[in-house]
Order: sequence, then structure tokens, then C-alpha cells
Amino acid sequence: MIEIMPKCWNKATKPDLFCPGCGHGIVLKHLGYAIDTMEIRDKVTLGIDIGCSLLAWNFFNFDTVQTHHGRTAPTMLGYKRAQPERIALAYMGDGGAYAIGLQSILHAAMRNEPITIIVVNNENYAMTGGQASPTTETGTITITTPLGKAKDSVGGLKGPELVRMMADKNAYVARTTMANPIVMQNMIKKAIKTQAETNNFAFLEILSICPTNWRTNAKESLHRVVEMEKHYPLGEFLKEDK
Amino acid sequence: MSELKILLAGEGGQGVQTIAEVLAEAFALEGKEVSYIPAFGVEQRGTPSVAYLIVSNKEIRYPKFELADYLIILQKRAIDTVKSYSHIGAKIIFDSSTISLGDLPKTETAVFGIPATQIAIEQFYAKAFNLIILGKLAKVFGLDQDKVWELLFGQLKSKFKTKEIEKQAERAFRFGYGFVFEVKKYSEPVFQPSKHDIVVKGFGKTAKIIPARCKGCGLCITKCPVAALKNSKELGVYATPVPEIDLERCINCGNCRLFCPDGAIEVNKDK
Repeated sequence: MIEIMPKCWNKATKPDLFCPGCGHGIVLKHLGYAIDTMEIRDKVTLGIDIGCSLLAWNFFNFDTVQTHHGRTAPTMLGYKRAQPERIALAYMGDGGAYAIGLQSILHAAMRNEPITIIVVNNENYAMTGGQASPTTETGTITITTPLGKAKDSVGGLKGPELVRMMADKNAYVARTTMANPIVMQNMIKKAIKTQAETNNFAFLEILSICPTNWRTNAKESLHRVVEMEKHYPLGEFLKEDK
Repeated sequence: MSELKILLAGEGGQGVQTIAEVLAEAFALEGKEVSYIPAFGVEQRGTPSVAYLIVSNKEIRYPKFELADYLIILQKRAIDTVKSYSHIGAKIIFDSSTISLGDLPKTETAVFGIPATQIAIEQFYAKAFNLIILGKLAKVFGLDQDKVWELLFGQLKSKFKTKEIEKQAERAFRFGYGFVFEVKKYSEPVFQPSKHDIVVKGFGKTAKIIPARCKGCGLCITKCPVAALKNSKELGVYATPVPEIDLERCINCGNCRLFCPDGAIEVNKDK
């Protein structure tokens, strides 16, 4: 029989609670495949944030912990300090990571804490109805920016670039997109390996789609996520030698 | 009657709260005391969305209630949430094209059917579903249809992208107003999700599609490089079309499997 799902999926909870066409489903599926191929299902603990990411609370068949809004990184690094042999994943959206939780992430990066942070960037606060978030680009129309996000405001916050400045030179900092799932899956694997094998900080931002709040169909959503790459360059960010 | 308690139950995205809001405003314009509170989950789509509406001649002290006079049920998955509000004196209005009579809360009371989903898809457009319901409710509660349409138009103005849709919406609303309820003999609930997996074999490939997981987002159809996928008549979990595959065209690239957020489709080469 064909097996479509990763082994670590919790089959009983499917279909999951995400909207039709949500990027979270695709990212989590490939996170599942990555965990399957690395055979680390018994060692992983997933921390999830408030926001749409919390709907992943029963997505997988391994330990998942729900944290306060923006406090996923400190909760998971505390867990990692107490249980150094486990693999701590912090999974959050762009609102939780770059608005309320930015200081936690920057300090974790500065101390080179051995955790893996995965940020799903869909340019809005999706759960509450599509308000503008720190990563919303200038000119984008959302329900809180009906005339388009002001031109004189700072455009989308570039998380990986910011973290790169703080992070240790051995830390893994990268940005990828769900429009290319195979590359995304490999980068997820790399981010987990950085923690598991070299004990360094890993930060991965994934550009994602939100058809419900962008009010786009499948084709337009995929077009927009490719357009996002103009503002958010993809790739791994390496520390420049001084 | 001094007090009218109305409970609307449906699913996020169906427009339950819009219906309730427009009704509340319409009652308020008639000089009644109205209270309306929404109750829904954290998700944007696909979980029960309930609206509590009280209309009274006196001041309303508390916006919630335990037994409803009217239950308006628009989605099968919402029934469990609201069945305790039903009682012998309650009247139930339901979408008979998606819900079968046996699923409704057991009462000895009046049950009225309106096949709104079917009418919307066949005569108007799929999203006109809630307009038909609202039109009928305006009739049931004795509200003036022109006034209700005006309020509704104010709410939805930005969503009508073309004059064409606006006209169709108004027609759907007025059609609902004039619709005669089905009593005792109801439409068949034809818009039901398919329960069985679809397995297609041929041309050295095996395709498996699971309607019980498909949400109808259309990502697989968009990402298919050879246009081997298109919408079929089978329905998925949100009563949206499930893709159907043409294995002759399929080149087994695996894009549909990679992009399906719900793990509902896969094509494999036979060994």
C-alpha cells in the first residue's frame, strides 16, 4: 500500500486544523519527513508558539509543548539545558518570532544556545484575521493597513540577516521557501543537524503562503511567495571574516 | 412574544456571523432590544462557529441562553456543539442539501429544510449560500426585505468585486426570501464528503487520492506541470471538489505529493 504520510504524523488528527492550502501543512509535512529520515523521532521535542502555529499541537506523534506567545525560544532552550541529549525544536510564526519574541531569539543567538528555531513567515498575523506583521512589505494591503503599509516605514523585517549579526560563526542561519519543498526539507535537516551534531544555534526562516488572509487562490498564492523572494533573499547566511 | 432566542450554528468561513450581525441590525432598526454574541474557535476555517441572538421588547440582562426558540443549523460538524440547545418547543431550520434529517437533534418539533448549498451552486454561485439563508430568515422573522438587503449590502460592499456578482447576490437573497420551506419531505443530502479512498491504476502507475483529507485548496492542480489533474465531482472534507487524475498524461514527477499540505494525494510507479 502507498504510504503518503510521514511515519511520525498523528493520523488520528488528520485532516488537521489549518485552512485549505495553508503553508504550515506543507512545512510540517516536510519537517515530518526530515525527522523520519534522520530517525530522531524518539529524541525530538517540538515547542510551538501562539498563532496559527499552535494548531500543530497534535500534528505529530512525538512530544509537543505549547508555550506563551513569543516565548517558544526561551522555553525550548531551558528544556535543552535540562535535557541536553534531546533535540529541541522551536516552531513559530513571524508575529511571534519578530514582534513579541524578537529579544528572546536574539539573546539565544548571542549565547549560541543549541536549539533549532523554525520561523514560518507569511507576512501577516493570520489567526486573528490578517493584520500587518513586522514582515509585511511596504505597500501591502492588510486589514490594518487598508491603504497599503506606509512607504516611509521600514519594510519587512529581515530576521535571518539580523540574527546573523548576533550569532556565533558556527551557527546555522538560513532562509528558504515552501515553494521549493525539497530544498526546504534539506535545510530543515541541516538546521536540526547543527543542533544535534555540533551543538550550535540554528535559525531557519521559511517563506510561506496564507491563501485565507491574502485572499488569493492557489495560483496567486504561489506567485506571491515567489515575489517575496525579491525582498527576502534565499540561502544560507555565513559569518563574514573581519 | 416577548423574547426570541435564535441560535445560528455553522462553520468558520460560511458567513454565520455575517448573517447574525445583519439580523441583529435589522431587528434593532425595528426598535427591538437586541443582543448578539459570536462564539468560535481559534481556527479561521473549518471549526464550529456559533452566534447567539436575543431579540426582546424589554431590556436584555444576559446575552447567553440555554434553550433556543430557533436553531439554524448550516453545517453537520456544528450539530454536536449546539444540540443541547434544542427542546420540544424549538424550531429547527437546516440546510437539507448537506445535512440529513437523522443527524439533527431529536425533537418532536417543527423541522424546516432549505437546500441552500444546492441552490447556490446550481443557480447562483457557491458563496451565495449564506445570502439565501439570510433571505429566508428575514422572511421567517418578518423583516422588510429591502431594509435587510440594504444592511447586507453595507456589510459586503467591498466583497462584490463586479456589478455582475452584486446583481447575482441580490437575486440570491431575494430568491431565499421567496423560498418555501421543505416540510416532511426534504432534499437528499447530496453534498456529502466521499468516504472511500480513490485508487486509480494504469499506464504503469498507481494513484491514490484520499477525499477524507482533501480540503480542496487546489495546490496540486496548480503545481501539476502537465495538467493531469482537474477538479472532479467527488467532494472532500469541506465539501469542496477533490482532484481527479489523468494517468495517461501524468509523468510521475511527484509535485502533487510534495505540495499537498494534507497528505491526500500520491502517485507511484508500479514495481
